This record gives sequence, C-alpha cells and structure tokens, in this order.
Amino acid sequence: MKTVAVTLLAALALGAILLAATGANPLEAYQAIVTGAFGPDGFQDTLAYAVPVVGMATALAIPLRAGMVNLGGEGQLVLGAISAIAVGLHVPGPLGLVAALVAGVLAGALYASIAAVCETRLGVPLLVTTLLLSYPAMSFAAYLVRFPMRDEGSSLPQSDQLPADVRFTELAPGLFLIAAVVVVYAVVDARTPAGFETRVTGWGPRFAQYAGIDRPALTVRLLACSGGLAGLVGAVVALGFPYRFIDGALITPQYTWIGLLAALLAAANPLGTLVAAVFFAALTSGGFAMERETQVPRELTAVLQAVLIIFLAAATGLLRKRRNPA
Amino acid sequence: MIDAALFSSALGALTPILFAALAGALCQRAGVFNISLEGTMLVGAFAGVAGSWYTGSVWLGVLIAVLTGTAYSLILAVGHVSFGGDAIVLGVAINLLAVGLTSFLIRTVFGTRGTFSDPALQGLDAVHLPLVRDIPFVGTVLSGHSVLVYLSWLAVVALAVLLYRHPWGLRLRGIGEREDAAASLGVSVTRYRYGVILAGGALCGLAGAQLALGNVTLFSENMTAGRGWIAVVAVMLGRALPYGVFAAAVLFGLAEAFGFRLQGVGLPQQATDAAPYVVTLLALFISSARIRRTREST
Amino acid sequence: MTQQQPESRAVALRGIVKRFPGVLANDHVDLTVAPGEIHALMGENGAGKSTLMSILYGLSHPDEGTIELDGRSVTFSSAAQAIDTGVGMVQQGFALFNSLTVTDNVVFGAEPTRFGLLDRRRSRAAVAELIERHGLRLRPGDKVGDLPVGVRQQVEILKLLYRRARVLILDEPTAVLTPAETDRLFDVLRGLAADGHTILFVSHKLHEVLALSDNVTVLRDGRVTLRTATADTDRAALAAAMTGRDVELDKIYPTGSPGDIVLSAQGLTVAGHGKPALDDVSLEVRAGEVVGVAGVAGNGQTELVAAIAGLRALDAGTVTVLGKDIGRLAVRERRAAGLAHIPEDRVETGSAQGAKLGDNLATGFQRRLARRGWLRPGRIRDHAREIVEKFGVRAANQDVPMRTLSGGNQQKAILGRELTHDAPVLLVEQPTRGVDIGAVVNIHRQLIEYRDAGHALLLVSAELSEIRALADRVLVMYEGRVVAELTKDEATYTALGLAMAGGAS
Repeated sequence: MKTVAVTLLAALALGAILLAATGANPLEAYQAIVTGAFGPDGFQDTLAYAVPVVGMATALAIPLRAGMVNLGGEGQLVLGAISAIAVGLHVPGPLGLVAALVAGVLAGALYASIAAVCETRLGVPLLVTTLLLSYPAMSFAAYLVRFPMRDEGSSLPQSDQLPADVRFTELAPGLFLIAAVVVVYAVVDARTPAGFETRVTGWGPRFAQYAGIDRPALTVRLLACSGGLAGLVGAVVALGFPYRFIDGALITPQYTWIGLLAALLAAANPLGTLVAAVFFAALTSGGFAMERETQVPRELTAVLQAVLIIFLAAATGLLRKRRNPA
Repeated sequence: MIDAALFSSALGALTPILFAALAGALCQRAGVFNISLEGTMLVGAFAGVAGSWYTGSVWLGVLIAVLTGTAYSLILAVGHVSFGGDAIVLGVAINLLAVGLTSFLIRTVFGTRGTFSDPALQGLDAVHLPLVRDIPFVGTVLSGHSVLVYLSWLAVVALAVLLYRHPWGLRLRGIGEREDAAASLGVSVTRYRYGVILAGGALCGLAGAQLALGNVTLFSENMTAGRGWIAVVAVMLGRALPYGVFAAAVLFGLAEAFGFRLQGVGLPQQATDAAPYVVTLLALFISSARIRRTREST
Repeated sequence: MTQQQPESRAVALRGIVKRFPGVLANDHVDLTVAPGEIHALMGENGAGKSTLMSILYGLSHPDEGTIELDGRSVTFSSAAQAIDTGVGMVQQGFALFNSLTVTDNVVFGAEPTRFGLLDRRRSRAAVAELIERHGLRLRPGDKVGDLPVGVRQQVEILKLLYRRARVLILDEPTAVLTPAETDRLFDVLRGLAADGHTILFVSHKLHEVLALSDNVTVLRDGRVTLRTATADTDRAALAAAMTGRDVELDKIYPTGSPGDIVLSAQGLTVAGHGKPALDDVSLEVRAGEVVGVAGVAGNGQTELVAAIAGLRALDAGTVTVLGKDIGRLAVRERRAAGLAHIPEDRVETGSAQGAKLGDNLATGFQRRLARRGWLRPGRIRDHAREIVEKFGVRAANQDVPMRTLSGGNQQKAILGRELTHDAPVLLVEQPTRGVDIGAVVNIHRQLIEYRDAGHALLLVSAELSEIRALADRVLVMYEGRVVAELTKDEATYTALGLAMAGGAS
C-alpha cells in the first residue's frame, strides 16, 4: 500500500513537471482532473467510461489469474459489439436486447476459444495466438460496416442504428451487468474449487500439473470466459449511445490496453483489478475536464497512467529483489 | 499480378518490421522478452519527423530518431534489469506511454491532432544502385529504396556476426541460456542486458525513421499499427536467429504487399489487411508442428 | 615483526561475520587452508557453508572479517575479481551452457580473439592442452548438453583451470556422480592438489570427506564446531559436530510384511534424447512394502516416476493400481485411482513458493474440502492446521508464503499433504534431499509407519544409505533399464555401487 502511494506521488510529480513544461499550472490541472472525474458534472462520464474499462480489465484478469495472458481483447471486444448489432438489427423488442447480449458473449467466447485451442492443440503460445487473431477480427468488423452492414445514409464507416426498443438508453443496465460479472468473478475466485484451481495454475504451471489440474481444458475454459466477457462489454457498449457500431470506436479509447494494465497491476485479484480499473477510468475522464479548463491536451492523462504503471512495476520488482536476494 | 513491383513494395513494407524484429531477437538472445518494440518504434517515428522538421535535415532526423529510441528504451532497461520489474507489464505500459506521449506531443509541438505532414518535411530519398538498377527484374526489386532499407540488410548480417563470431555474442547467448552461469564467470548480466535493450532501442528508432520518413513522409497517431507486435511474432517464428527473423519479416512483407495487390482485383482492403496476420499464424502452426514432430522422433 | 610464513596459508578467512535479516549466517568464522591441501567444509543445510564460500568467491560481502590469499589481504566485489585472483568455484548443480561446446563453455568470458572476433582455433588448442595435461576425458568440440553428468563435472573444473585458479572450491560435487565417477573425480582432485592447487571441498557426505580430505572444518548455526585433521576424526564425531547431538546414523528398518500387489507397471518405455529414457521397465509394489529404486541421477528414475504419476506420456507399457489400468489417464484420474506423490523437485513441482502454506496444503483437496460446490476458508484452515500439527511443520502461521519455510519444513509440509491423501500407492522421490540429519530420521519414521499401515511405497533416492534404511526390495536402474533387483540383505553398498555403474550381472 505504501509502495502504491509513493509511486503514485512520484508519477504525479513527473506529470507536474510535464504540465509546467507546457506552461500550465500543475495544481490547477490536477484539480480539474479530480473535479472532472468525481464532480457532479463529470461523475456520469467517469462511470460511463469505467464500465468498459472495468469489464475489459476483468475479462483479461480471468485468464491472467492462471498466468495466461490474453492479448486479443480488442478483437473479442469488437466481434462482440458487431455481433450484438447484427442480431439487434434483426430481432425486435426486448427479446432482441437479450439476443444481442447473448450474441456478443458467444462471439467473443468462441473467438477466444479458437486462440486457446491453437495453443493446446497446435502448440503456438497463447500470447501470440490471441494477439494475431485480434487483427483479422478488427478487419472483419471494419469490412462489415463498410459494405454489408453499412448505414447507407452516411459517409462514415458505421452500421445502421439499432431500433428504439433494442437500446440501453441509460447507463444503469450496462453498469449493473458489468458489476454483476465482477461480483461473480470475485466469488468464483475465492469460494469455488474451480477458482482455486485457476489460482493454483497461476502460482506455478508445474505445481498445477502435478496436482492434477488439466491445463488444456482450463485454458479453453478461461479463454472462453475471458472472450465471452470481452464480447459482453462490446455488446453493452454497442447497445448504448449512439446505438450503432462505428469503426474504431472501441479501439481508440484503449479500453483493452488500459484494462489489461489494471489486471496486470492487481495480479488479477478481482477487487484490485476493479479498483485499478476505476482509478484509470477516473483519470481518463478527468483528462477531458482538464483539457476543457486548462487547454492541456488530455493525452497527458494517458501518459500519467503509463508512468504510474512503469513506476509500480519497477517498485514491485525492487521489493521482490529485496525479499529474495540472489 | 506477381511482378517485380510487388517484391519491391514488400521490401519497403518489411523494413520497419525487420529492424524491430532484429531488436527483439537481440534482446531475446540475452533473455529479455521485449514487447516494447511497438512503442519504441512509434516514439522513434515521431522523433524522426520532429528532428527532420526542426533541423531541416532528414539525416539529423534519422539520427535523432535513433538517439530518442535508445533513450526511450532506457525505461525498459532500468525498470526491468535494474529494478527487476516484470518485462511484460513494463512492455505494455511502455507501448501505452508511447501512444499517449506522441499524441500529447503532436498537439503541443505541432499544434495539430491526428496527423502531421507538410510538403516542406524532408523524407528519405530513394537510392538507385548503380549497375544493379539496370538488371531486369532484380534491379526493380532491389534498387530504389531508402538507405535504411539497405542498412537493415546489413544489420541482419551484423547481428549474425555479432552473435556467432564476436565474444559479446557468445556472452549474451550464454546470458540468455543461463544467466547465473554467465555471472559466475564474471560476465556482467546487467551490462549486457542494458546493451541489448539500448541497441534494440536504436534499431527501433531506425524502424520508426524508415516508417515515417521512408515509407511515407508524415507522422500520424499510432502509425506503427501493430508492426511492433508483428516483430515480436517474427522473433518467435524466426527462433531469434538473424536469418530466421529476416525470413519471417520477408514472409510478412510479402503477405502485406500481396494483400495490397489483391485490392486491385476487387477484394476489400479490410479483407487483405488481415492477410499478413493470418499468414503469420499459419506459418507459426506449421513451424511449431514441425518442432513437435522432431521432438517426438528424437 | 614476525609474521607466519605467508606461503603456509593459501587461504585464510578470519572472523567472518555475515548477517541476513533475522539470521546470523556466519558468526566469527575462521578457516585456514595450506597450499596443496584438500580441506573439507561440512555442515547441515543452513549451517553457513554456502554463505562462507560465496564470501570467499566474491558473490557476497562479509559484514566483518578479512580474507587473505597467499598472505595478502583481499576484498572481492565480484566473482570476476575472485577469478582474477585465482579463486574458482564449482557451484552445486552445474553452471554450464548446455547448447554450447566444451570449448565455448571453458573460454566463456575470457575468449581468445583475433581482429576482435572469436579465435576458435586458439580457444580449441588451449582447451585441448588443458585436457591433456590433467588427464581429463573430454573432447573440446562436444556439446555439453550431450555429455553424461559425470563428465560435465570435469568441464566445470576445466573452466577453473583455464582461468588459472589456484584455489578451487567444489560445492557438493559428488551429488550426481556414480561411485566410479566419484572415484575418478577424487583422483583428479588429488592430482590437482599434488600440483599445488588448494582445494575446498564442501560436502555433507561423511565417508567422502573421510576418504578425500586432509583437514576438515565443521559449521553449525554459523559457528565453527570442529576443526581437525581428518585422520584424527570419525563419522560419529563429524555427525555430532554437525548436528550438536548424537545421531543414530544408518538406522536400518526391518522389512515389513508385504501383502497383495497394489502397483504394477509393465514394459514402461519413454523416449529420450537418442536412446529411450525409460526402456521396458517392469515392477510391482505390494501393500506394506517399500520398493527402492537406486541409481545415479539421470538413469531413468525421474522418468519412471513421472510416467507412473502421469506427468510424462508413456510410449509403451501399462500401469495398474489395484487392478485398474491408469496408464493413459490424466493426473487427476490417477490420483483418484489411488496415487500420491512426493516429487523430487520441491520448489516448482511439489509446492507453490509464493502461495500461502495453507493453500499449498489444500491443493489437491480442493474438491474434497468443498461443500455443495462451495469452498469455505474455515475448512481450508482446519485442513492445513491438522497437517501442520500432525507432521510438525514449523511456520509462523499458515498464511506465510511457502518460501519462508526452511527446506526441511517445506518437505514436511509436502510429505504431510501427500500422506493425508491416504492413497494406496505413494511415489516418493528424494524424500530427504536438502533436509537436516535430524529431520531425516523423522521423515524416515513417517514413511515406515505409512508402509506399516498397509500402503505401497515406491522410493527413488540417490542416497544409498536411505535406500538401505527403508527399502524392503531394491531395483537398480542404469541407462533407463532395471539392471538389478536385490533383497534388503543383498543390497550392500558394494553390490549397489556395482549395479549403479551398469556392472551388474
């Protein structure tokens, strides 16, 4: 905890220097970030941004708990979103809403399972299969919204809008869904044999094998959960405003990478992942407020996040070194 | 459809990947899993453009790209080697930092958003090789690239010589295999790892320079677009062998150029964008299947 | 001023003190060794031997005390400086590059060059000359990974000689050698001593120390407890100095009363590099019986246990437990069929070092400890507490990470966990490796009690004394095959040693 505080202060200090270098007042800028993130005007935005980030962080934390890195979150997220739109456009009414969510989950789960099977059957590392499969998925979605699913009335690469009854017009349903998933993850992790076995695998692959844990089956199962959740996040975002799939809209905000960092930072611990993800989300949404009020580009908050993680990674490495001197 | 121009464009496309993959291979050999290639390349690209713009000299731009790439890779060196931080966490953060930093700087330095380009921005000229250029086919393929393209080929050879003919190469291969054994013989693991990471940063700087001053003459946000990741995969596919990595990069470059060509016959760009990744994945399947077979037969 | 003649002391460590958090690893240790002397350094794990040697070798710095070489005071800040000054060390478990040749391993870090590039010819010639001069059995161009273990040891020594080391430190060098290879190593060491080299031999094997050394120093809890000429001491005195009490050495338990066959393996074959790692091995273990598997490390014992436990796929053969064929089942199913396993590798296979002791003890029981699919922390704690109490695991509490426990206590925890399965078959590998002499007796007693409760034990051990103490029947493995089967009475050191070297009938 002390480490976190110290590194946080160090990152803030570095950020202050950067801010001062651009001619801004660091204190004002930081104040703008805080009020922007948690003030009455900004809190809604923070929550809206936190939903996909927390969702993706949890999605990537699930396999990470067993020491497996899913680098293909972007592809799974995008496939989930486009599948939800495809279904939502054709199935009307409340049923369409459910069907769209299910389609998103299935698309993400199936796609991530393919990457898992590539490792367990073909021996290509998961890190690589997930990453490489991500790009074709993004290209596929980009193709769909340019040709077969394109909104004819627009020059942008985007799909048609969902019908009015297949929409999340408010934040609450998505927020509730993701929160429920986080709770389920925390409970499964701490209180079930399956969660225990996942943690055992994370402690050491050889220990897990020795203890009788079936790694290939676990890999496929965890990746299916991970991809399914990423797909759900995609579906939730797609069902929300502006109720359509816009090419790149899920990639540019860096939900996946920020989520991955939150998960890595918390060593995939459910609660820690949640806290880290919310913190990053707040920082990012505060960045918009800072840009409005001080003219400092909001990208600075992305810099702050990355610097914070670099400091934390180095600090935990140092602690580990001290604990077991070579 | 398969002609000399296809191969020529493949060579240009693969150069940034090749530089970055050589950086990755060098680090891999010394036991550092470097996934920060993407971000370092992006920073190099920005520094190259900024350097060329402010000095008015493309050569100074390339030099600044190299120096900046080296300096940027210090983050990984200090964080991972000196502090013992996890290389994957650091790598992901370094990549994210590069995106944030360059997007921040393009606004504060150039006062624009998204893409910076200007007719006055100096790019790298094509070099027409005497004699070679007149050979049919071969001339079209090999001649007319930027100096950095030729430099990247030299770098492949240089890496091979370094790894297998120079004491440093022996030592860093040893460090990669068993760092404790190397340390017990008085070889400083820290110093060699710093060396490979910083040299890798310089190579990524060159990769960025070729990308932003050679292939095109502009900087745009996130313009590396996954090339650094492809380099990571190329290292794996080429088993961190200099010529293996070269072959992997060529395969990727050809797939990209060929995919580009397929657009000419009506395939949508998005379908062909995916081609290099799919080809790389297939190549990995084949190579890992072969390795499994040989492992089983011995 | 009259100083002692410097040439009478090649090495002199004086008043060495080294503190680690909470531990006094070396407490004013003195150690002097003359040139041409073979000096044995003994002590149990954690007695401070390794710390002392790493200080002499420059890998760590003493908090107090001085180091003298040939009468001159030296301070090393790195192994490189120690090497330059003529001190070389062969670490326990080799520090070799398996993918490189003998030559590359030897010249590594001090390579001859020509125009800045490696001079292969000169390297090779220098190494060949050293091999010749010291009568080693090596070829410069061989890849180290292809060499037998005993020969790799010679590569380690060659590395030191190439660096002109005058003081050679060998840390437990015989752990992986056959008796014949050990003899050969001792011949090489005696030759080097006669040549004026000073040799520090770190070992816990009493008979080897008595056979090889001129003088011996024993450490316990960081202090010197015995310093004597080897000729003036014996096994009992050395053991007492190491443990601080009289230890019942070499207790041999009487044979049990075997019942029905519980574990049966027929024609087990596992491919290896070139030749099979396991070649048509068959064995049977009965209830209430301990079958010992003796052999030099690397002759298929590891593969045998791994194949039975399901950690390695069988290329041919069958394994049955209580008549059920388990040869193609997954590890979980094999364990369910009645297997428990205490593995050789405690650190990565047998435990999760970073995880809590309690979680380590619960692993494998997670399904049994669950109620209606839910795990309750209370049940996990109770389960762990039972094992900790029953097997005397010493730890601050069950929430501390496994790595904070001493080697002996880690082993007790693993032993306790696996015995708690109450499985009909127990596979045990190197149960007392790295465990103090005091704890050895305790672990042996637990295993025999488990046998007498009617379980079948397959025991793999590199310590012949352990095999003789526990096994009712002994199988000797050599190059992947069972080359001898001996009854308890037939299994003398001589008979075992002969069979382990492949010389059985």
